[in-house]
Amino acid sequence: MSSQPSLIANLRQDLPASIVVALVALPLCLGVALASGAPLFSGLIAGIIGGIVVGSLSKSPLSVSGPAAGLTVIVLDAITKLPSFEAFLLAVFLAGCMQILLSFSRSGVLGEFVPSSVITGMLAAIGLILILKQVPHAIGYDGDPGGDFAFRQGDGLNTFNTILFVLREQVVWGAAIIAAISIAFLFWWDKKRPKDGPLRFVPGPLVVVVGSVAMNALFGAVAPAIQVKPTHLVSVPIADGLGGFVKLFSLPDFGQIGNATVWTVAVTLAIVASLESLLSVKAVDELDPKRRVTDKNHELLAQGGGNIISGLIGGLPVTSVIVRSSANVDANAASKMSTILHGTWLLLSVLLVPTLLNLIPLSALAAVLIQTGYKLTKPELFTKRWKQGMTQFVPFVVTIAAILFTDLLKGIVVGLVVGFVFVIARNFRPAVTFVQDGEGPGASCMVRAKRNLYFIHKVELTKELEKVPDDCTVVIDLSATSYVDLDNIDIINGFIKNAQYRNINVLVRGDIADRTAPQIKAPRKEVAYA
Amino acid sequence: MREYKHLLLANKAWAAERLEDNPDYFARQTVGQQPEFLWIGCSDSRVAPDQLTNTEPGGMFIHRNIANLVDPADQNLMSVVQFAVEVLKVGHIIVCGHYACGGIQAALQGGVDGHVHDWLAIAREVVANHRDELDALPEEQRANRLVELNVHDQLVQLARTDVVQKAFAAGQPLELHGWVYDLRDGLLKPLMEIDATTPLETVAKPEKVLV
Repeated sequence: MSSQPSLIANLRQDLPASIVVALVALPLCLGVALASGAPLFSGLIAGIIGGIVVGSLSKSPLSVSGPAAGLTVIVLDAITKLPSFEAFLLAVFLAGCMQILLSFSRSGVLGEFVPSSVITGMLAAIGLILILKQVPHAIGYDGDPGGDFAFRQGDGLNTFNTILFVLREQVVWGAAIIAAISIAFLFWWDKKRPKDGPLRFVPGPLVVVVGSVAMNALFGAVAPAIQVKPTHLVSVPIADGLGGFVKLFSLPDFGQIGNATVWTVAVTLAIVASLESLLSVKAVDELDPKRRVTDKNHELLAQGGGNIISGLIGGLPVTSVIVRSSANVDANAASKMSTILHGTWLLLSVLLVPTLLNLIPLSALAAVLIQTGYKLTKPELFTKRWKQGMTQFVPFVVTIAAILFTDLLKGIVVGLVVGFVFVIARNFRPAVTFVQDGEGPGASCMVRAKRNLYFIHKVELTKELEKVPDDCTVVIDLSATSYVDLDNIDIINGFIKNAQYRNINVLVRGDIADRTAPQIKAPRKEVAYA
Repeated sequence: MREYKHLLLANKAWAAERLEDNPDYFARQTVGQQPEFLWIGCSDSRVAPDQLTNTEPGGMFIHRNIANLVDPADQNLMSVVQFAVEVLKVGHIIVCGHYACGGIQAALQGGVDGHVHDWLAIAREVVANHRDELDALPEEQRANRLVELNVHDQLVQLARTDVVQKAFAAGQPLELHGWVYDLRDGLLKPLMEIDATTPLETVAKPEKVLV
């Protein structure tokens, strides 16, 4: 286990990274809230809580939490069904409590069982979607809210034909110019960033955001026709002083505690949000250049804490989220201080400088996300999986295709099913050996388990026992096993019963653990000590 | 890491695995031992008797020396045989040679000196006893045939020892087995057996199995 160094030890890395993540998070928080049919501010609350609360509680160094695209369908549906937004907040609060229970029941380890081909497939798919979905934003079309991951969009288009539609009808030249320059700069900066000197701490995305605001101001001065209109700029709700700011928060309606729908929504949220968080945290562990391993059970505790507080003050449910986390990794964050600070910047900027934020063109943020997407779905990723053989490549590609053409949740379920089929096939190794000495009556043979006989060895065990001829002595050797599945004990006992009628003499060489042998109805032969 | 530390670590893992499978594993073997077999084999690192017969600790009493020789004047071997037969009352003694035995090759071709040369005196007797048969063979077959003939001679020698004769006379159940282990396929190949009823003057030479 890694030691936990002081949180401020890495500020030189974490401070610039946190600013980048906050800038990336801002439009995503607003976009998820919009797509969920919730007040815009609830998305920002979730982003702030995801940073400050979950960040403080979590043991993951690089995961960033906040409102999640993967939950939008569930949230939209829940808000429509429930009597009020405040009732929905109660469900978020309850979901948080349930996640803490899941943490105590150690459900977090389930996250460790996700095949790595599915995890990287998910990352690659998110990368591709990010690029495809952000291209319209980059050239000035915001018909689909930022942060949507579904193939079929609310505006009636899908991921692919949106791009064609935008190219034909909707190109906003100012936005497109800003995006093109930003993308070119980001890739150039990535390659040419100085290895030492103070410049190495300057994050490309920050330059892009500041530069885009300046460029747009320039357009306004010299070519007002192509200046990006406020509809394609960030739009943070602007509060009327501190009093107005407080009014943006809301409390859950605890009067709805008896409402069955609240509980159904809470259970759904708890399960789906936990799964998303576990997958995301596991994926971020794989992106971590230092490959640290996060305590998954503790992560559920942290996420539960986040949802309890987010629900209590009027925010959307939070999960650990890939896009922001990988932006965090790319921005060279070193510790969880980055995610905590990103929440702080969200809070302060919304509180203090909302009008400044509202000058940022969405196409500049789209450029940042397109580069993040590229890093998630680099061609090397595909060639690496290809070299590992079909059992890794097929689940990887199936996961990508399924996520690309449905949505994150359905795609992961498909990927998991395919992934597990391949994992089981890959992990199956023969465990039973049959040998024979002599022929005809008086022959002797041995059916030996060279390793534990699990459920998946049923067919093999049956097949090998069938090789035993009539009129012989057979030793069933379990001496190398410490576990034999109950189904396999039944098979062996069935064979012994049948052996009486075939003049077969059965002897059992006992197991190491002495658990199986006593359950087998045949004489035992084993090493004696006294 | 120094190589011997691997042994110590692997042993820690082995002990932990046994205990995990059966918390009684070590406790139950503190009461004593009752092996059914005495194995007299070669010291060659490739011929590990308990591993190649899937025998757990406690199953086999083992003596190993270069070229699996039985010398009635060897206190080391004779004390092992005496303890195994008189105290442990093993039912079977196995003398096992093996394909490509370096000791046997040296007995045939020389090339060793010091302790090893002295030790192989008995093996050179075997060569002398079977000179005619060995000379008639093509050169590349001689060493492996000598492995088999050596097992034959050592097994008869073992049967003649006072310990074994006393056990035979007392009617104690005891069988002697001569085997060879073929490194090429990992299989044990039985050559011959001796028990209380076998006339030792006329024990037939084994058929060739290491071909």
